[in-house]
Amino acid sequence: MAAQTAPLQGEAEITQEIKDLALKAGGDVVGIAPVERWIEFVPEGYRPQDILPGAKSVIVIGSRGPTVGSWRSPNHRLMEINGYDFANDRAIHVVCNHIEKKFGYYAMQGPSLPTAGHQPLFSGMLAAVLTGLGTRSFAANIILNPKYGLLYYSAAITTLELCPDPMLEQDVCPHPMCVATYKAIDKTPCMAACPADEGGCLDGSIDTDGRIEDSYFDRERCATRSMNFGINSLQKALMEIVEEEDSERRHAMINSDFFTRSCTSVSFFKDSVAQCFECMRVCPIGRAERKLK
Amino acid sequence: MNDAEISSLQAYKEELIVEAKRGGALVAGVADANAFTMAPEGHRPTDLLPDAKAVFVVGGAQPRAADWRSPNHQHMETSSTSDRVSALALKLANHVERKFGYYALLNPPGVDRGRNPFVSLSLAAELAGCGSRSLAGPVLNDEYGFMYYSAIITTLPLPVDGPITKAVCPAPECIEMWEEEDTTPCLSVCPISDDGCLDGKLEGDEIAESRFDRARCTIRTQGNWVPGFQKALTVALDEPDPERRKMILGSTMFTRTLWSMTYANVSQAQCFECMRVCPVGAQHRQLI
Repeated sequence: MAAQTAPLQGEAEITQEIKDLALKAGGDVVGIAPVERWIEFVPEGYRPQDILPGAKSVIVIGSRGPTVGSWRSPNHRLMEINGYDFANDRAIHVVCNHIEKKFGYYAMQGPSLPTAGHQPLFSGMLAAVLTGLGTRSFAANIILNPKYGLLYYSAAITTLELCPDPMLEQDVCPHPMCVATYKAIDKTPCMAACPADEGGCLDGSIDTDGRIEDSYFDRERCATRSMNFGINSLQKALMEIVEEEDSERRHAMINSDFFTRSCTSVSFFKDSVAQCFECMRVCPIGRAERKLK
Repeated sequence: MNDAEISSLQAYKEELIVEAKRGGALVAGVADANAFTMAPEGHRPTDLLPDAKAVFVVGGAQPRAADWRSPNHQHMETSSTSDRVSALALKLANHVERKFGYYALLNPPGVDRGRNPFVSLSLAAELAGCGSRSLAGPVLNDEYGFMYYSAIITTLPLPVDGPITKAVCPAPECIEMWEEEDTTPCLSVCPISDDGCLDGKLEGDEIAESRFDRARCTIRTQGNWVPGFQKALTVALDEPDPERRKMILGSTMFTRTLWSMTYANVSQAQCFECMRVCPVGAQHRQLI
């Protein structure tokens, strides 16, 4: 389809129009970066311009996931199911369509899911950092936004040149409260909730300037907890089922709650996209946004 | 609570109803979060959200008139799901939190352990006045009949609608049929005595008894979904002949089952026969 005829607009005006649309379409935050920012951080083949030849800009939209009521629920299963609603994905497609139809430039969603192993073609986390929406945290490297804390991100890569946002100058993590906690107990709240030296996933240290000195994240261990019911658990359960020689036991395994929940988790109900939010539950960043009546 | 507070809560409710209808809901109602006493402990709104005051229920997204009209029954298998109404409810939960400032959560669709729901949507729909239970099982709305429901649980003390006083089922046509034939349209199309799922009894214009074989209904309404996958997998792995096993795994049945479990939107429910013959809401299934 040919692009709609639009009156000539300046780069700043177009940028603002796209940002307004992103927020209207379900985003809570939006940031823009030129593709050159990736060169320093990403090997060739994984840069936006490798995915879309001629790409000039990357737009990232972040959306809040679970409702605050879900965070408040004593039933942890609630967060497993209500943890994600794809608002960021929907918003990014609205923006891509707008760019192509109105301005006549190519636009596509950055492919953030892994196609082999656990490596994404395009890191949504890095894109969020480079567009100035947040910085990496001690908690599983999750990119924390200064206002909302945990957000879900999607990115659009486009040949349209847009006005960039600066990257954040101030690290979001560690929060001053976490620095104080670290000084007192040698751990931040997230590390204390899930300490690597006690069977958890997180460790790290804070330097004298109050910045992250080093951080450790056991991704494999985290995956077994945050994705108990999903493709991983379906594969794991299938392996055990296939290897079980006793047909009665095999039938019981196939019809068990665990296998049923694994099946539903890869299905339509959005069941169990993530299951463990404990490092984020204790994170002070964005907590003000989680206080309602 | 003073008059201004009551008026403001009523305004919140009206705004939510407008948003719900704008998003595609046909009906909306409010249940008292503390009225779910017939649900077992752990499955009441206040178990999911402490201090919950209300449950806002939306209904809609039922098959279109043309869907019902298609002679290919497999069409309904692929086009009828509760997903749209669940997405709408989540949007409303965000509206309550972000605009009104009260906690809200989506009552998760589907079932939890043991195939039990978190909070029964049927019960929520009844207590919110969206409809009443039928001999066929689903909660029927008096205007539209069968529809899908979703609910949000919130600390916002919305004015409660409460259950309707006149049951939707049995419809007058069904009472007439019962008097003449000792059965109703839904009971006759799926009688438990003839390997079906439904049985019941009317007395006057009320349901006196009803029986629903959920296990049997599940294998018919979810033949190609998770239960279908589990069944097909059981058969495949029990098969000692590797050639036959490959055929089972590559069969249409197994393929459709996998499609149905993914985002392809295929086969969330497959049998609508008790609803097809239900006269409630039938006027909305007759177009030109």
